[in-house]
Amino acid sequence: MRSRAIAALFTALVTAYAWLLLRAESQGAIAALILVGIAAGILAMRTQLLRPVARSLGSNERFAQGLAFAAVVVIALALRDDDFALLLLTRVLIVIVACLGLNVQFGYAGVVNFAGASFFGVGGYTAAVLASSARLPHLLVLLAGGVTAALAGTVLLLPILRTRGHYAALITIAFALLFRTFLEVNDALGGPQGLKLGEMRIGPLRFNDPISAGPFEGSFYLRYIAVALVLVALAFAVVQRLDRSWVGVALDTVRLDEIAAASFGMDIARWKIAAFTVGNFIIGVAGALSAFMIGFIAPNNYSFAESLIFVSILLLGGIGSAWGLSLATAIVILLPEKFQIIQEYRFLMFAALVVLTLLFRPVGLVPRPLRRLVGPPLS
Amino acid sequence: MRFAAAALIAVLSFSASAKETVRIAFVGPLTGGNSAIGLGGRNSADLAVRLRNADGKSKHQYELVVLDDECKPDAGVQMATKAGSDRTIVAGVTHYCSVVAMATVDTYHRFALPVIVWGAVLPDITYANDFKEIHRVNGTMINQNETNAKFMSERGFRKVAVIHDTTDYGKGHNKYFSQFFQKAGGQIIATFGVTADQQDFTAELTQIKAQNPEALYFGGLTPIGVRVRAQMDKLGLKAQFDGTSGIVNDDFIKALGPLAEGALAFREGAPAEKLPGGRKFLEDYNKQGYSNPPEAYGPFAYAAAELLMDAIDKVGPDRKKIVKELANVTDRDSIVGKITFDDHGQNTVPAITRYVVQDGKWVTWEESEYAAGKRKLTNGK
Repeated sequence: MRSRAIAALFTALVTAYAWLLLRAESQGAIAALILVGIAAGILAMRTQLLRPVARSLGSNERFAQGLAFAAVVVIALALRDDDFALLLLTRVLIVIVACLGLNVQFGYAGVVNFAGASFFGVGGYTAAVLASSARLPHLLVLLAGGVTAALAGTVLLLPILRTRGHYAALITIAFALLFRTFLEVNDALGGPQGLKLGEMRIGPLRFNDPISAGPFEGSFYLRYIAVALVLVALAFAVVQRLDRSWVGVALDTVRLDEIAAASFGMDIARWKIAAFTVGNFIIGVAGALSAFMIGFIAPNNYSFAESLIFVSILLLGGIGSAWGLSLATAIVILLPEKFQIIQEYRFLMFAALVVLTLLFRPVGLVPRPLRRLVGPPLS
Repeated sequence: MRFAAAALIAVLSFSASAKETVRIAFVGPLTGGNSAIGLGGRNSADLAVRLRNADGKSKHQYELVVLDDECKPDAGVQMATKAGSDRTIVAGVTHYCSVVAMATVDTYHRFALPVIVWGAVLPDITYANDFKEIHRVNGTMINQNETNAKFMSERGFRKVAVIHDTTDYGKGHNKYFSQFFQKAGGQIIATFGVTADQQDFTAELTQIKAQNPEALYFGGLTPIGVRVRAQMDKLGLKAQFDGTSGIVNDDFIKALGPLAEGALAFREGAPAEKLPGGRKFLEDYNKQGYSNPPEAYGPFAYAAAELLMDAIDKVGPDRKKIVKELANVTDRDSIVGKITFDDHGQNTVPAITRYVVQDGKWVTWEESEYAAGKRKLTNGK
């Protein structure tokens, strides 16, 4: 009981902080909030203050997930008419989904993928083309975005299986560049000027109309948040079930020692293909939803630099850690935005912060915990 | 700690001021490959706001909210939403990149935020919609290329080869130039699309040389313009270099040295230094000590900010009223020439200025020794 109370208290504090940060407008307030955040982080690291919190979250996982879900709902409702803050929140959720997909490849199976944004783009372009031409329900369009991304990934399967380490990384980088050029010269896909998407619809629901039900009035982004939140929950469930099951153990083995895995009779190629395809599917679905929400896609959105941002989110959060990447996504999306006040210098500040974090906490913000299949929680 | 932060927010968001503070947004690329032009635009808009505040005649105290669109549509929509959903922002000076400007028109319309585009040249931004909120002070690439094609055919150029980059900018220029030039009786003997980061143009230029064109039309920005011009010289391709607004800057001449001599380019708007207001603009700009020059589109950002503040001074800081007021802009004097918005919010009298490089400077055609006949364009008649 006490353990749950700690988890709930911690979530409430984080929620309040996130709400303040999303709302903060003035330079002084933002600076103060960011400093408070950094100070709290350092303090927690130094004093082991977070130990009981981590233990309580770890031993009440279902409860903790429920809390996180509720926290997002509360923040979304508290900000219900602030379009911009809601847009940011939706973007954070969508990128979390994409990074969960990347995590299956990178974190579990050890398949490097520096073309995350490209698969995100495949999903987006699929959504744009299908939404304008076919009369497919838009929820299916999201799925189709994932399927197309997974199919596009099959192009890379052979070279990825044949190469290792830096070489495999290079192949995905080459794919990212190729994808961008392909979009730019392809006039059917809008070329460099991009494509416009209509609003998302599910049944009679039109996503871009403002919400008003009785006394409740809210931004149209609330609908996108709802869909994004469901996607996050689904992706989380899939990824964690993968991790907990024998599949996760197998993927870990493949990542840690291919030779050992092969000598135990494991089919390495099969596991790598599975992880790569599942990951791309998840990334593609996220990309499709993102395209609907922004309403406009162009090759500029899916540059190699974006892929690097996805990878840096994984590194910052702690490779393989679903909670870690969620926290890192929030930081990576919100910080540059809040740094708008320092205009052209903001990416400098942002990059410095990332470097410092990696320097002083190379394992990531929330390192991946050891997998425990049986027994009481590790303390 | 957190309560302290909340208290801090409350204190900081309260600012005492005798005059009502009115906020207008500036959105442009402050980071990334187009940041030089974005910063020039930002400084120019900032200058307009500072001068208006220093002047003291206005009822309002203006504040410029600067936002970075990174030249990316998703970031652009994000910033448009930020400006639009912030009710204290009443209008915006928005976007240099066409792709971003196209992506954001719906957002501005949704939030009913009056905006004036200060740099993007794609015609569709104003003409593919009926949104009353969207305006543009600079001309589109249509006007620019009409003048260019007419100029070239009048000077007797008949066979022209085209190199353009494959961005919307280069593609659009190619489309409109080819269209107008052929209508004027000219002939496009070859067209090559190249990516914006291509280094070596030997293959394209060798093929072009074999066809022996009188001029080479280049639709793109300075970096590849410099490479193309330098490699033309290396391959001994003697053709008149005919560029677009994208190369009208000092970097082009600095990078090429004497090779830049005689290069042609066309840009919307009267040159700032030729108009009385424009000269003052450049003086004021230098006085502020900004670390970047205003660049080609700075004067447009300045003019756009001026138009918005004129409208706000007249009808007050109300988005709807500003939209209505902007519809009445006709024959308004500005530092880029007269401004008249048509029913799509497009400035219809964009003067196109013809430039030629003479002795390491961009000189208007009328004042150049080329027009006087003292010097001759390559292959010119």
